[in-house]
Amino acid sequence: MLRDSLKPITTSVQKELQGLLARENLSFLREDILCYSYDATNKIVPPEAVAFPETPEEISAILKLANLRGFPVVARGAGTGFTGGSLPVGGGLILSTERMKKIIEIDTDNLTAEVEPGVITGDLQAAVEKHGLFYPPDPTSFKFSTIGGNIAECAGGPRAVKYGVTRDYVLGLEVVLPTGEIIKTGGKTLKGVVGYDLTRLIVGSEGTLGVVTKAQLKLIAQPETRKMMLVKFAKLEDAARTVTGIIRRCIVPSTLELIDNASLRCVEEFTHMGLGGVEAVLLIEVDGRSESVEKDVLDIEGICKENASTEFRAATDKFEVRDLWKVRRSISPALKRLKSLKLNEDVVVPRSKLVELITGVEQISKERGVIIASFGHAGDGNIHVNIMVDKDDEEDCAKGLQAVEDVFKLTVSLGGTISGEHGVGTTKMPYINMELGAATIEAMKRIKEALDPRGILNPGKIFPAG
Amino acid sequence: MKSVEELLDIASKCVRCGTCKSFCPSYEILRREGGGPRGRVTLAETSLKEAGMGGTPFGPAFQKYVKDCTLCGSCHSNCPNDVDVPALILAARTGYIAKQGLSPFASLAIKNLLGSERLRPLSMKIASKLQGLIFKGSTVEHALVSRFSIPLIGGGRLVPNLPERFFMESKTAKARKSGPEQGAAKPKVSFFVGCGVNYFLPDIGEATVRVLERSGATVSIPKAQSCCGMPALSAGDQKTAREHALKNLEVFEKEDCDYIVTSCATCGHALKDVFKDLLCDSGEEDSEMAKRVDAFVAKVRDITELIAPEGDIPVKDIEDNERPLITQDGSKVTYHDPCHLRRYQGIAEEPRILLESSGLELVGMKHPCKCCGLGGGLAFSNYELSIEIARIKAEGVRGSGADIVATACPGCIIQLKDALHRYGVDAMVVHVVELL
Repeated sequence: MLRDSLKPITTSVQKELQGLLARENLSFLREDILCYSYDATNKIVPPEAVAFPETPEEISAILKLANLRGFPVVARGAGTGFTGGSLPVGGGLILSTERMKKIIEIDTDNLTAEVEPGVITGDLQAAVEKHGLFYPPDPTSFKFSTIGGNIAECAGGPRAVKYGVTRDYVLGLEVVLPTGEIIKTGGKTLKGVVGYDLTRLIVGSEGTLGVVTKAQLKLIAQPETRKMMLVKFAKLEDAARTVTGIIRRCIVPSTLELIDNASLRCVEEFTHMGLGGVEAVLLIEVDGRSESVEKDVLDIEGICKENASTEFRAATDKFEVRDLWKVRRSISPALKRLKSLKLNEDVVVPRSKLVELITGVEQISKERGVIIASFGHAGDGNIHVNIMVDKDDEEDCAKGLQAVEDVFKLTVSLGGTISGEHGVGTTKMPYINMELGAATIEAMKRIKEALDPRGILNPGKIFPAG
Repeated sequence: MKSVEELLDIASKCVRCGTCKSFCPSYEILRREGGGPRGRVTLAETSLKEAGMGGTPFGPAFQKYVKDCTLCGSCHSNCPNDVDVPALILAARTGYIAKQGLSPFASLAIKNLLGSERLRPLSMKIASKLQGLIFKGSTVEHALVSRFSIPLIGGGRLVPNLPERFFMESKTAKARKSGPEQGAAKPKVSFFVGCGVNYFLPDIGEATVRVLERSGATVSIPKAQSCCGMPALSAGDQKTAREHALKNLEVFEKEDCDYIVTSCATCGHALKDVFKDLLCDSGEEDSEMAKRVDAFVAKVRDITELIAPEGDIPVKDIEDNERPLITQDGSKVTYHDPCHLRRYQGIAEEPRILLESSGLELVGMKHPCKCCGLGGGLAFSNYELSIEIARIKAEGVRGSGADIVATACPGCIIQLKDALHRYGVDAMVVHVVELL
């Protein structure tokens, strides 16, 4: 929702902002405006100012001023989201958390970590690993995205099939509300039922209900060992059937990724792994105690063969594992090699419906005459469906948008959701009523209204106008 | 040179996924979008669109952001869409230099000192005599520390002691200034010395000649050779860089040699890759100049590439009693990959194989191919950032337990010596060839 009452940052407001932050932590320069005008959607939406606060108090003061003067504020971690969550579509101030990058505590007695929002997820993982601990959420961007951004979007990743997503590891938060109050939710305890679960409300709220300034995260023990497998298939459907087969046998891999041929061709130019000619690939990783890992590998190999796999290979060293992950993590950006614009969707279906989703998407691709590259976290039913179009070709774009709608309809009809981990942002805004009923949307809007009466925090996201 | 259209085409491949940020040594410290590759691509693209190479619509912040890059190239080599970020940054630098010119100190250093054939040796000579005024002795051999903060250098910085005699004036060089012996069956190698070896680390020059001749080559060291042009190019002064390229091309064309060797990773990258770009406009692949440059480039080798077991002149084993002193005591050596060698020339295995053959124990270090922080002119434009980037290298060496750090670039050697001194790591830094 974008309110008419929102105001630009005038010269006098600039002066007021200057009173709140150190000189080097606030910029109105065109250079910085440009650098904070995009995210991984590759859309350019310039803000009017960029702030680099260092404390919750500074953020609180900014938000109080924003309420007083009516300018929008948009929190931004690393700017690597896929749905425009950090794009300042209503103008205003970008609030970058890049300077709030402290790992405050790694508590090896309670298996928790307390961090500031600007900590890079991969840095936290490396830091806890030194203590034999494990922070599992692994969005593909984990090496450069931040915990704050991950919390705002409730990011997930390949490991979600076994370990869950960001929300499953957030025990408590410190949040600055849109009106400037600093609140604490949850805490260091594993349990806690006093009052509403505001932690869960904030996680995945896409920066519309508050700005996270500290997070108390749950850690677990590092698995004893891991084993990575690469399995090739002559048909995409066979690969999808294998996924369902593995789940049905109650084997829970730590990663179960499916990659189709269009995706494999794109990364081949970059990774040179000789996978360009393969129709479909499953990347499977199991972890845990050595004995159980060995057994899982054998069982999985059997299930793959039952489903007509053409080649089964277990990685022999860490370099091979690294190369396989490189293939997987390069797909999304490398799809640009197919067509100039990627309509990047991340639908999820119950895992028993995976084959229907995959064959249905292939059908849509044929009917609409557009290229669709599918890959992703098949193990949890989450497939990245990328509809590739030429951004300068109006007809192609129109066909692409129709295909998006077809994919969403199919997903919802299979009992799924139109976004598993990217969020709604601006790109999925027009479609949320395909999944959510009017009363549900109304309830969500009332929560937003209650916490952010003036509508200054990340306006223009999630809910379509009107 | 690449045209504005080609550069914009490169920029248009960026999808702003942000992958590059996790590899960028300056972003890791600056933590600001403009201090990382994705921001710089956006700024360079906008600048090129609005003002081409002849200027920039931006001010000092733009200059700072594109200057705070070491041109290490790790963003490019890890980009799923192959965006040549360094090419865009060089274009951006050219833009602001066109708008406002080089800073007085950079201009003095690049145009007058490195740029002039006559002034360069003379001014270095004067500097060699006067260095004691601003630098004081240190505990590190052949090195001085700046007494106070001075332009382009900074304070408390360890720099190599300018030698009494530069390499080009040494007996070794003087005896080899004419072309290689005619008619001999031995491979003929012309040595591109480079400023780092000539003015700061002449021992590397001595070692290069020693190892090549021991391995059966004849060596010539053309006297008229010039700077490779990279300092000028990095600063955004393409004109001076082009003059150097042309001069060197002419000098080495006169040498009747089989190979042109360098022991500097940066010079090697300049000779192999940059000369072509500087001397030929795109779309002129068939021109006379392009053919000349191609013939020149075909002969260029890094020293570690030339003398590796699989190289054109494999190094001859050394008699134990002739072994350099430092390799005799069973010390541990670790290897730092120069960006200009590993990423730009694809040479990573050869130096390691050579080190394993040196009789020392080769041990790994953490992040061997992370940039040392000196490159792209950063060591002069922002010393504070440059030496902070080097901290990770110093810690890597400390963690490796090595007594010796070997690398293959005089620039890296100078920076690593400073970093080890500053962060209190006790290890010596040498060129691979000095251990052979």
